[in-house]
Amino acid sequence: MHQPENETAKPITHPELNPDKGSNEAMPALTYRVDDNDGSTGLEAIRVQVSLLDSLMTLAGELVLSRNQLLQTITVNDLKCAESVGQRIDLITSELQEAIMHARMQPIGTIFDTLPGVVNDIADVTGKRIELSIFGRDVELDKTIIDAISAPLLHLVRRAAEYGIDSPDQRSVQDKPRQGTILLGALHEAGQVVIEIKDDGVAPDSERIAIEAVRSEIVSLEQCQGLSDKEKLNLAFSPGLCCADSVPRVDGFGDVKAAIDKLGGQIEIDEFAVGGTVVSVRLPLTLAIIPCQVIMSEDERYAIPQANLEELLRIPAIQVKERIELVGSAEVVRLRGKLLPLVRLADVLEIQRTYIDPDDDEIRVDRRLRIADRRSRKADSEDIPVILDQEDLVSRREAPDRRQSANSALNIVVVSAGNCTYGLIVDSLQDSEEIVIKPLDRHLQQCRGYAGATIMGNGRIALILDVANLAAMAQLTLMGDHLNVQAGDSEATENVEENHSMLIFRCAEHEQFGIRLDQVERIEKIKRGDIENLGGKRVMQYRGGSLNLIGIDEVASVQPLAEHDDLLIMVFSYQEHSVGLLACGPIDTREIGNRIDDTSLRQPGIAGSVIIDGQTTMVVDIDEMVGRLYPEWSTSSGRR
Amino acid sequence: MHITRMRNGQRQTLELATFTVGKEQCGIDILQIQEINKIIQRTPIPQAPDYVVGVFNLRGRIVTIVDLCKKLGLGKTEMGERTRNIVVNSFDGSAGLLVSSIGDMVVVEANSMEQAPANLCSIEHIYFTGVFKTETQIIGLLDIDKVMSLDDCAMTQSTTEQGSTSHGKN
Repeated sequence: MHQPENETAKPITHPELNPDKGSNEAMPALTYRVDDNDGSTGLEAIRVQVSLLDSLMTLAGELVLSRNQLLQTITVNDLKCAESVGQRIDLITSELQEAIMHARMQPIGTIFDTLPGVVNDIADVTGKRIELSIFGRDVELDKTIIDAISAPLLHLVRRAAEYGIDSPDQRSVQDKPRQGTILLGALHEAGQVVIEIKDDGVAPDSERIAIEAVRSEIVSLEQCQGLSDKEKLNLAFSPGLCCADSVPRVDGFGDVKAAIDKLGGQIEIDEFAVGGTVVSVRLPLTLAIIPCQVIMSEDERYAIPQANLEELLRIPAIQVKERIELVGSAEVVRLRGKLLPLVRLADVLEIQRTYIDPDDDEIRVDRRLRIADRRSRKADSEDIPVILDQEDLVSRREAPDRRQSANSALNIVVVSAGNCTYGLIVDSLQDSEEIVIKPLDRHLQQCRGYAGATIMGNGRIALILDVANLAAMAQLTLMGDHLNVQAGDSEATENVEENHSMLIFRCAEHEQFGIRLDQVERIEKIKRGDIENLGGKRVMQYRGGSLNLIGIDEVASVQPLAEHDDLLIMVFSYQEHSVGLLACGPIDTREIGNRIDDTSLRQPGIAGSVIIDGQTTMVVDIDEMVGRLYPEWSTSSGRR
Repeated sequence: MHITRMRNGQRQTLELATFTVGKEQCGIDILQIQEINKIIQRTPIPQAPDYVVGVFNLRGRIVTIVDLCKKLGLGKTEMGERTRNIVVNSFDGSAGLLVSSIGDMVVVEANSMEQAPANLCSIEHIYFTGVFKTETQIIGLLDIDKVMSLDDCAMTQSTTEQGSTSHGKN
């Protein structure tokens, strides 16, 4: 007998020897990286409603029936029937998945309810009077997240009680009620759960945090000066910042953020209107299934969690030489005026790079050190690296590039982890998929570049990349921040002479507007409800301040803004002020020449018109508009 | 292996699945084997330890394939027609063992096991529970838990050794 029967091959294992086997099997998907020391949860139990079990049972029954049907259809080779069975299995699987996920959900109240005791203890010891009010106990989260969030949450509440709230005497001096309040709540928002911890005590001193951050070389002094108060406060989350003595209120926040990052969540601290602090934590509902971008490198698939993904970038072959630059020995790409460090995935993982020779379609080993370098047939054939002197290199770079094949285009995945953003060069970009995370064997724990693995639709395995560790492996830490070189200015001025990029948008159904793209700082999607009408002006909260909003119809006689709920604002800066221009979609960009007709439709706020794609488009003069609406801004000594 | 014996104190015979590692004949208690298959599709893991050939999808589970030859310090297994993957259950889950070829199933008397010689078939004796002699061959019984223990650093070895002696003698 060569192969044992499956039935008889049941392993006999000693129950004491594998205490955590059960937990590993049951929730493989839920930990990014299973640490050995917290695997001691073999005997954990979870309460599930019987009705849920019943529905699981029904679904399992359905699944078995469908499987039988499928087997039958395969035997008789009935394609039509197979299609409908396939659909049914698809349906049942999703329902089953949903039901099982539901079984893992637990109300967040289980951890919230442990906190009043902690706060009372602190109040007793320090002689403060603190009330902890809790809302949103019923908000449900995956059990793993509940477990993982309890320690960070305890820390945040503790800090708020110990250092956020002052003693009753000090509070009455500040005209606050003698009793301090900590508001702890959870709510659903946009497919995520937001946990907020608000206190009406004293906000941490953002300047002191900034000073500590500069001292710990987390930010440079110059960078620090450009930061808003809120951004300075959020420096408290920088890893490695130690401010136990200077700002005890936020001590240990770096660890809290690390824990929350691990869960794929975000955390933010802000000053509260009445003088207090609000820390908000955003968490995904579950970790078991995460959306990922699938990429390929050297014929293997890898997945990058969407939470780390910033954008996808493709640099056409012909632009590679211009856009990839060298800063020191680091390769960077110019992206909207910023320099983004680049890392080749194959290099970090030490995979042999290959390329397909365009001449004879053979796969050869890629030996180029730099992206913008070109391949030399000589080096390939002689099998020795060709050492060129500097002059030679320069002349080769300046010579017209023969890089034309579409295969030479660079695919870059811009990823961020913590405060490090970089571009990962991959061979090709695939779909984005929802994947189930499975942990890797302990033999592979030493490979820090992976957060786990997953099984793709075709049965093959893809590794999930750990973006933060990859950055560390490529020794990229914090490099992104130091590279904020003022680039791109030259590009902008060059274009003025030749062509404008025009951003096209609408305010009402039938009127099309355009504005020079380089004037627009940012475009944001907002809801109508975000707009507040105050003092005869429209404003909205934006990046911790308020942003004045204007409409074109306030200056020019055009149709008023359409009654959509989804609006866009284009943010412009005028002198040292920012202003948001209200618009609605769809937006698009076009290259136009210097052929603006500045007579026919000229009016205040409108510089003229141009015909784009057969439609007359009014070109907005934003400076004139803001100048008319806010005449006091045009003097350089503005209001603020 | 010792575990099996403890649980079945009265068991008289052992069934061993034999296979070759490099040129050597080894065996594993059949009850520790989940299945034996050919590797159809494997995913290599960049930067993995050199004895890890890759991972494969075993009906929805991701199982690591370990080159047994390499793990035992005998050099790399050449992939070929006869190479097989033995999926075993060690103390912390399953793993696949890549072996050069599969041999017969052999029934041996449990009490005929002898202490492994210090240098059986050029594999270090610590990896063996013992050896069995049949009329034609000598089969070394591999201790899967030890083979699968994390790499060869002295510390892990000494701890597992202590652990196994206390278990084995009881």
